[in-house]
Amino acid sequence: MSDGYASRMPTPEAAARPWQTHTVAIRDVRREVEGVSTYDLAFLDDTVREAYRFAPGQFNMLYLPGAGEIAISVSDDPRNTEAYGHTIRVAGNVTRTLAGLGVGETLGLRGPFGTSWPLSECIGRDVVIVCGGIGLAPLRPAICTLLQDRQQFGRLNLLYGARSSDTLLFEREYDDWSRQGMDVQTTVDRSSPGWLGNVGVVTLLLDQLPSFDPHNTVLMCCGPEVMMKFTVMAALNSGLSEQQIWVSMERNMQCAVGLCGHCQLGPTFICKDGPVFRYDKIAPFIDVEGL
Amino acid sequence: MATATEMGTNERFLTEAAFARIFEVLESQGFTVVGPTIDQEAIVYDRIRSVDDLPRGWTDEQAPGQYRLQRRDDEALFGYVVGPHSWKRFLFPPQATVSKADKTETGWQFQAVEPEPAKFAFLGVRACELAAIRVQDRVFMPGPYVDPIYQQRRDNALLIAVNCTQAARTCFCTSMETGPKCTSGYDLALTEIANGFIIEAATAEGAEILSALESDDASIQQRQAGQTARQQAVDQIERRMDTTDIRDLFLSNLEHPRWDDVASRCLSCTNCTMVCPTCFCSSVEEVSDLTGDHVERQRQWDSCFNVDFSYMNGGNVRDNTRSRYRQWLTHKLASWIDQFGSSGCVGCGRCITWCPVGIDLTEEVAAIRGDAT
Amino acid sequence: MEADQLRFILQELRFSAVLPVEGLGRLAEESTVRRVAAGEVVFRDGSTNNNLYLIRSGRLALEMNVPGRGAVRILTLGAGEMVGWSALLGQGKMTAGAIAIEDSDVVVASADRLRELCEADRDFGFLLMRQMADALSKRLVATRLQLLDLFADAPSLIPTQQAD
Ligand SMILES: Cc1cc2nc3c(=O)[nH]c(=O)nc-3n(C[C@H](O)[C@H](O)[C@H](O)COP(=O)(O)OP(=O)(O)OC[C@H]3O[C@@H](n4cnc5c(N)ncnc54)[C@H](O)[C@@H]3O)c2cc1C
Ligand code: SF4
Repeated sequence: MSDGYASRMPTPEAAARPWQTHTVAIRDVRREVEGVSTYDLAFLDDTVREAYRFAPGQFNMLYLPGAGEIAISVSDDPRNTEAYGHTIRVAGNVTRTLAGLGVGETLGLRGPFGTSWPLSECIGRDVVIVCGGIGLAPLRPAICTLLQDRQQFGRLNLLYGARSSDTLLFEREYDDWSRQGMDVQTTVDRSSPGWLGNVGVVTLLLDQLPSFDPHNTVLMCCGPEVMMKFTVMAALNSGLSEQQIWVSMERNMQCAVGLCGHCQLGPTFICKDGPVFRYDKIAPFIDVEGL
Repeated sequence: MATATEMGTNERFLTEAAFARIFEVLESQGFTVVGPTIDQEAIVYDRIRSVDDLPRGWTDEQAPGQYRLQRRDDEALFGYVVGPHSWKRFLFPPQATVSKADKTETGWQFQAVEPEPAKFAFLGVRACELAAIRVQDRVFMPGPYVDPIYQQRRDNALLIAVNCTQAARTCFCTSMETGPKCTSGYDLALTEIANGFIIEAATAEGAEILSALESDDASIQQRQAGQTARQQAVDQIERRMDTTDIRDLFLSNLEHPRWDDVASRCLSCTNCTMVCPTCFCSSVEEVSDLTGDHVERQRQWDSCFNVDFSYMNGGNVRDNTRSRYRQWLTHKLASWIDQFGSSGCVGCGRCITWCPVGIDLTEEVAAIRGDAT
Repeated sequence: MEADQLRFILQELRFSAVLPVEGLGRLAEESTVRRVAAGEVVFRDGSTNNNLYLIRSGRLALEMNVPGRGAVRILTLGAGEMVGWSALLGQGKMTAGAIAIEDSDVVVASADRLRELCEADRDFGFLLMRQMADALSKRLVATRLQLLDLFADAPSLIPTQQAD
C-alpha cells in the first residue's frame, strides 16, 4: 500500500520528450472564492488518459498557447481519473487568460512533475497540515488520501488560515472532512461581522494545538513562504524535528524538468527535488534573502 | 629506430597537407565541420570548409576584460586558446523551437518538435572544452528527463581535440584539473608541431577518420616535439584557483561582505554566462502567427543575471546584483557539485576575459577564502 | 473551588504548566474560576481591569474599538492562553476588549496579588514573566504576519519593518 503513495516518475516516452504537451478539455469550472476557480481537466487522448497518474503534491504545467505556461498543483482526489481538478488563483497573464475560458475549451498539459507529500511516512503517525490561502489546493489530494485510508493514520489536524472568511477554499467540504475523522480548524487574518471563527495567523493555531504527539507527528505545510517559515519555527518550538516537517516551495519554472535553471534554491531544483521538501533539506537556504 | 606502435602508443604524424584532407573525409561521412575561424576580430566557432578558414598565423592575447588578436611569427593553425564561443552553441543552440500548437476544430493540438538531425564534427576542441562538454552531458542527459536536442546532437558529434601549446593569462585549467592536455572524451586528438601534427585516435570513429588520412608512425623526435609543445602550455599557466573544500566554503559564506563588493562592480550584463561553456539556463517564449492559431514555443539562452529570471508574481526573488552574482558563482563552483557531481567551472577563463569590468572569479574566490567565516 | 483543585487545573494549562508547583499553589489560593457565557464581555477596551485571565476551556476574542467600525476582532484565543496582560504589565488600562465567543471557563487571578507573589518569590516571578514574554512575543510575530497581508492579491506595500 505504502508504495501507492509515491511520486509518479515519468514514463520513458515522457522522459525522452519533456516538451510534449497533451490536449486537455475543461470539463467543469467551479468558482471557489473571489479570484479562484477549480478547473476539471480531461485528456482527449485515451492512451494518455490511461497512462496518467499523479501523487498528492505533484504539479502539472498548464499551457495556453500564446499566453504561456504555468505550474499548477493538482487539487483533486487521486482516485478521480476521468478529469483532474486544478485550483487556480488569478495572478497575471496566463491565469487571467485561463479565467476567460469556459467548459469545452482546450489547453495543454504536461506532467505530473515533482515530489509528493510523504504519505507513507504518515502511516501510524499523527498528521498536522498547516496551510494558508491557495496553499490548501496542493494539499487537498493528500487530505483525500488520508481520509480514504483513515485507519492507517493517527490523529489528523488541518489548520488553515486565509485572509478573510470569504476567501476560505473548499469550505463546503470541511464538514465532510471532520465527519471522516480530521479535526479542521480555520482562522482568518481579518475578521468580518458575523464571523465566529478564529482570528489571527495560522501559526497561533499550531501553538494552541492540544492533541498531537510531537515525537510521532508528520507536519505538512503549504502557503506563502513567510508563513511557512513561521509555521516551521512554531513546529520546532513545540518539539518537532526538521525531519518531521515537509513544505511545498514555489519558484519561477520554465521547463519543470530540471533543465532550464530557473527554479534553483541553493543546490536544489524546486521542480525535481521538490516542490515538496523535507524541511532539513532546504533549511540552510530558505532563510537566505534572495538566494 | 622503434616505431610508436612498438612502444605502445598510437601517436601518429600527419603533415599539414595530409591534415588538410580531413575536411573532405569528414564531409564525405556526412559531418558538418565546425571549428575556429576569425569573425569580427575574434576567433569564433563556425561552419568551416577547409584549412583556409582556420586562423592561420593568428593568436589571441587575453587579460581580465581584454581580448585582442595578434599576428604570430609562424603559420600555426591552432596557435591561440579559446574565444567568446564554445561548443555549447552547437549542442545547446541559443535558440530552438521546442513545441508547436495548432488550433483545430477539436481544439488545440500540440506537437513536441523532433530535433532536426545534425551531425557535427567539432574541430579544435580544447581540454577545458572537453571537460565542459562532459559537464553539460551530466546536465542534459542522465535523466529522468533528457534534452532531446542536446542528446541528438551529442550522440552524433565527432570530437577532434587539439592540445594547447600555449596558454592565455586568463587560463586556469590546471587548478580545475581539466587541462591543458586532452586526456579523454575525444575521438581524435591533435598536437600541432613544426610542419604537421601528432594525432591520436581514441575511438573507433576516430580511428576510421585517421585511417582515411595519410599518416606515419610518429618518430621519437616528433613525439618529443609534441610533448615539449604541450609542456609549454603547462608552463605558461599563471592563474590559480584554490578549490579546497570549495563547496562548503561557498555555502557557508552566503552572507560574506565580498558579495556586496563584487556587486558594486558587476554590471549584470550577462556576458559571463553567455560565454561560459557550461551555463545552461534557458527560457521559453511564445511566438504566434498573426491569427494566433499557430504558436511555437521557442527556447532561448537565459541568464541568472537577468532581472526577471527569478520572477514570481509579485516580484523577483533575486532583485539585486549581489544576489544574482552570488547565485551565479555559488552555483558554478559549489551547488553544481551537489547537483551534478562536479564543479561547473572548467577553468577556461572566458568569464574573466569577456567581463567588461574585468571581474575575475579566481580573485573573488581568493577574497572569500581569505577571510572566510 | 478548592485551592488544590485549582492548582491542578493550572498545572494542566499550557501557560502555567511550566511554573513550579509551589508557586502555583500560592497562585491557586489567590485565584477563582469563572464561567463566561458566549457573548459575555470579560473586560472592555479602555476599561481599567485588575485581573489576569487564563482560559481553561472555550474561546475568547480580543477586540479593539474603532470609531465608525465598531469592535474589530483582532485575535481569538483558546484553552491554555493568557488574556489581560495590561493588568499585570501596564497600569491596568486595557488595550483591547475581551469577549467570550463560546461558553468558556477562565481562571481569574488578581494582578496585584500576582505582582506581590512575584516580588516575594523572584524565581517564580522570573518564570511567570518569561511565560508572559513568550506569549506576547508570539502575538507580536503573529501581528506582524497579519500586517504583511500575505494572502492579499497584490503584494502589500505596507512597510514590513516594525520596532521591536
Ligand atoms: C510547483 C508550483 C505549484 C503551483 N501550484 C499552484 C496552484 O495549485 N494554484 C495556483 O493558483 N497557483 C499555483 N502556483 C503558482 C502559479 O504558477 C503562478 O501563480 C502562475 O505562474 C502565475 O502566472 P501568470 O502568468 O498568471 O502570472 P504573471 O505574473 O503574468 O507571470 C508571468 C509568468 O511568470 C512565471 N511565474 C509567475 N509567478 C510564478 C509563480 N508563483 N511560480 C512559478 N512561476 C511563476 C510563469 O511562467 C508565468 O506565466 C504554483 C507554482 C509552482 C511553482
Ligand atoms: S560578472 Fe562581469 S560579465 Fe558577468 S554579469 Fe557581471 S559585469 Fe557582466
